[in-house]
Amino acid sequence: MSADPTVKTTPPPVVQVRDMDFCYGTSKALFDINLQVEYHRVTALIGPSGCGKSTLLRCINRMNDRVPSARVTKGEVLVKGKNIHDADVDLTQLRKQVGMVFQKSNPFPKSIYENVAYGLRIHGEKNKNALDEAVERSLTHAALWEELKDRLQANALALSGGQQQRLCIARAIATVPDVLLMDEPCSALDPISTLKIEELMHQLAKEFTVVIVTHNMQQAVRVSDYTAFLHLGKLVEFAPTEELFTNPREKLTEAYLRGTFS
Amino acid sequence: MNSPPPPSRPPLRSVLLRSRKHTILGVDPQKLIKYFFGSNASVAIIVLVLIMVFLLREGIDFLPTYQRELQTYRRAGLEFCDIIDQPLQRNQALSSSLRQAVSASLETLSKPARDRRDAAFLLKRQVEDKTARPRDSLTQALEKTPPAPEQIEVMRHELKAASASAVAALSYPDFFSAAEREQLQREFAALTPEVTDLPPLLQALVAEFSTKDREARTKFAPLVQAQEEFEDATEPLQEVVDELKAKALETKEKAVEFEVLETNRVRLLEAAATEKDATEKASLTKEARESVSESVNLEERIKEITGRTAELREQVEKYAVVIEKAAAVLPQDAGTGAARTLVNEVREGIPAHAREMRAAAATLEGWRWDKPVSIFSVIGAFFFGTQWITNSSWQDFFGFVPLLTGSLVIAAIAILIATPVSVVAAIYTNQFASEREKEMIKPIIEFIQAIPSVVLGFIGISLVGNLIKDVSEWSWLQWVPGFPIQERLNMFNAGCLLAFMAVPTMFSLSEDALNNVPRAYIDASDALGATKLQTVFRVIVPAGISGILSAILLGLGRVVGETMVVLLVAGNRIAIPDFSAGPGVIFHPAHTLTGIIAQELGEVSRGSSHWQALFMVGIVLFAISLLVNWCARAVARRFEPHKA
Repeated sequence: MSADPTVKTTPPPVVQVRDMDFCYGTSKALFDINLQVEYHRVTALIGPSGCGKSTLLRCINRMNDRVPSARVTKGEVLVKGKNIHDADVDLTQLRKQVGMVFQKSNPFPKSIYENVAYGLRIHGEKNKNALDEAVERSLTHAALWEELKDRLQANALALSGGQQQRLCIARAIATVPDVLLMDEPCSALDPISTLKIEELMHQLAKEFTVVIVTHNMQQAVRVSDYTAFLHLGKLVEFAPTEELFTNPREKLTEAYLRGTFS
Repeated sequence: MNSPPPPSRPPLRSVLLRSRKHTILGVDPQKLIKYFFGSNASVAIIVLVLIMVFLLREGIDFLPTYQRELQTYRRAGLEFCDIIDQPLQRNQALSSSLRQAVSASLETLSKPARDRRDAAFLLKRQVEDKTARPRDSLTQALEKTPPAPEQIEVMRHELKAASASAVAALSYPDFFSAAEREQLQREFAALTPEVTDLPPLLQALVAEFSTKDREARTKFAPLVQAQEEFEDATEPLQEVVDELKAKALETKEKAVEFEVLETNRVRLLEAAATEKDATEKASLTKEARESVSESVNLEERIKEITGRTAELREQVEKYAVVIEKAAAVLPQDAGTGAARTLVNEVREGIPAHAREMRAAAATLEGWRWDKPVSIFSVIGAFFFGTQWITNSSWQDFFGFVPLLTGSLVIAAIAILIATPVSVVAAIYTNQFASEREKEMIKPIIEFIQAIPSVVLGFIGISLVGNLIKDVSEWSWLQWVPGFPIQERLNMFNAGCLLAFMAVPTMFSLSEDALNNVPRAYIDASDALGATKLQTVFRVIVPAGISGILSAILLGLGRVVGETMVVLLVAGNRIAIPDFSAGPGVIFHPAHTLTGIIAQELGEVSRGSSHWQALFMVGIVLFAISLLVNWCARAVARRFEPHKA
């Protein structure tokens, strides 16, 4: 990485995917992917069902490791310039740097406070004040603090679906990751909750780099700065969102945006 | 027109009507099938209700029956005697301790002599056993009339040869000197049936022992004397008590006999009243008239007993004074450390015993033979009674506490052992084991369930009991309370086997509980960078805790209800375990709720108070099982938010 002072204003991409192939056993799921995720920007991954959006997202924090026989067969994934498949990479630390929010909200059956503090606790934070602070900060970021500050000890499962999902976001950002991965975070929510989370995403982009998988093209337009269009495991087009939606370079992208192929 | 005719349609009205179907006995087959399934489901409920009704019907009469029995116990004066007799039992325990102390003390001097004597007699016995056949033949020949001298001579020869070979095969303990061995050999070889006197060396050994014993008795004279005094002290008191007891028992037997004849008479008269046939009626009435027995004047008879209250009190006072004196003169020193401890225990025990006796004597005055036994005191006597005594010539007591304690202690031991084993095994299998390991572990643990419990009982008797006993004798384990253990069959042994039986239930249910923890929790924890262990202990186990708790409770239910193993292995001593032994109490034998039913129900006469008492135990057992199961369900609901 260059130490040239002129580059300082535009820092290098926080996540780089280079020429990556990914296989589940013998079937190839991703082909030759190249992707750069810029600092403090929202990058959206769109594409039809089964195109590999989620798989690509899960490559970034190595969530695919748990699937036996799933592996990267070619190329590399760099987070902050470091190949995450290197032998000296600590998976725990990687996941601390790369947080994740799932499609279906999944708070633990614990109190709201414990949910948010969980990430810090497992990374060894024992100081009560530090935990209190982190919980307040994360809940504030997730626009939940005002709603929940009086009932932090209530069970998280008693919250509404939208609140639960925002709680999951608060939990993911409590460890202050660089990158926040979101796997269709609004697909199970009603329109109002969706709207709240979309608003939240603009706020989050100020402090975190967000990669979001979405099914909903309007959502991609609303929330993202860059959009990647995947089709059948290949990255068809990657461009600033506005450009991609108004003036797609690829025929395939255009067809998808118009809805002329199934 | 050649166009095909339109398909005929039924008129609208008939379409809407229910089409006619086959019916069986006028009922729609679909409904029949539904009823069939429904009735099968309800069979279980009906059977459960029937069990409850049956248990209650047999058991509920117990309380009035027992009330009548306790009433007789009081009215005949048995209770009066027990006021003194029960605390007097303590005397036996104390004097047995003293006896032990005395014999341990005496042994310090006389043991070598006694060992020599005993060893010599043992050797003699061995020779006699080996030469039994020729000796018997010789004895018979000698008794024969007329005697056959040649035959006798031959037999003598045979006996001599057999003795010689037997003597040569003996192994002599070290404490016989070479000369003594030789003499013993000679004496044994010369044994004949005619000579009944002991050979000289054996006589000398006997004399040696009695000299030593006398010597020891002189040395420990104060202790020996105190022991004898203490034992004798009870005699005059026991005499009075025994006399009263005999009288009370006589009264009771008469009262019971009267009652039996009286009920018989009433029944016969009732039968006669409804009988139509004149001759039958006459014979029934006659029988009834014959079934009259002399009624017992309880009041008069009880006066003979209570009239001696003053005498009894006086005897108790005398007894208390004597034993207190004996305690005061108990010597400080005894032959061994153990004996000294025993003596000290007795010294401390006697004043308490004397106090107890005096207090008992004081209550004699307040005792009333005609005070009715209330139903509440009967309930108390059952649920809080500390004695379960049956087939007694004196009085049967049905106290529930010894059985309950046995059951609870054994269940607690079993659960304490089984819980960590099964829960940890479940966590390992569910979270850490490879597929291959899972395929091995699960069927093996589940197979344990298929072992018949009687086989486990066998193992408990033949293997575990000996194992525990042997281990308890290892010198470096003597710090464990209760070691070395006295009984091979005890609560700990039973608890171990029950734990083994409970493991499959608890393991499978805990494993299910862990399996039911939503995948999403694990995803979330992993994505936050938790290690496997952190995820398991901070997310999966807490989320599955309700299932695990309910697994433990269901295991408890299984353990409390188990019968065969406890019957075979728990030792079956019907007494409250001696909790003064501390944690070592788990190595004492006990009896259980289930065991007592299995053991005694086959032997009691139907409808007797004992029979009813066993059914009462059954009812309580049933209630305990219901309660445990209900708790398990409640716990499962209480902590299962992700299933709500």
